[in-house]
Amino acid sequence: MTARFDELIHAPTRLSIVSLLAATEWADFKFIRDTIELSDSALSKQLTILEEAGYVEIRKGFVGKRPRTSARLSRAGRTAFESHVAALQEIVARSGASVIRAANE
Amino acid sequence: MRPDEAAEALTEIGHRQEQVIRLVLIPKWFWWATAALMVGFTAAVDSRVPAAIAIGTTLFVIGIAATTARVVISAARQAQVRNGLVSPAGVFAILGFVALILAVSLPAAFALEAAGVRYAATYGVLIAAVLMVAGEPVLTRTLQRIMLAKRVGASR
Repeated sequence: MTARFDELIHAPTRLSIVSLLAATEWADFKFIRDTIELSDSALSKQLTILEEAGYVEIRKGFVGKRPRTSARLSRAGRTAFESHVAALQEIVARSGASVIRAANE
Repeated sequence: MRPDEAAEALTEIGHRQEQVIRLVLIPKWFWWATAALMVGFTAAVDSRVPAAIAIGTTLFVIGIAATTARVVISAARQAQVRNGLVSPAGVFAILGFVALILAVSLPAAFALEAAGVRYAATYGVLIAAVLMVAGEPVLTRTLQRIMLAKRVGASR
């Protein structure tokens, strides 16, 4: 994996969203909102930015009769995220600290 | 970027992935409900009373369908953990769990039947149900450990 620092992903709220999505096939809008503790509008705004960058795919559908919006990382988004993590690990590693410990704390 | 800021970002990344892995799992009540339905169904069949078998089968089918639907709908309202996180090790853990339950409960049921005990199959399934409910936390912890080890940023 090539290390590449990604300014778009690194913004704190987007980093949380993308990290959460990285562990999922897809996640419900409300699940993301409640887990990250964002308002509907703030999450919509960040998801739109990520979608426009091609990092996130938004899916609208129904569970029973209720409309549901879910999001998933696109292939490009996952690659960018993994490259970003590798870049962060390189920065930490260069300083001599333990990357694994830092990520697991 | 300073190393401490990068480390902080990695901590956040690990934390958010861990949140998903710990939140999105099969709920405990599902294991208890499935265990109870299994025992009830087997007891009904063991009774050899046609009415009991009919009622037991109906309740079992409806119960399994309802509990499974509840879990699936609940999952649809949350998130689905990425398939790649489970890995072959996770699949082996699940298969091992099932094999262990069968390895204990089947011989027990056959032994009880050979000894002439009535409702031998029910006792066998009861053992399987107890093992299932008692072993679920161990299986869950094992799967979580496997998934946490596979998350992005955990292995470097």
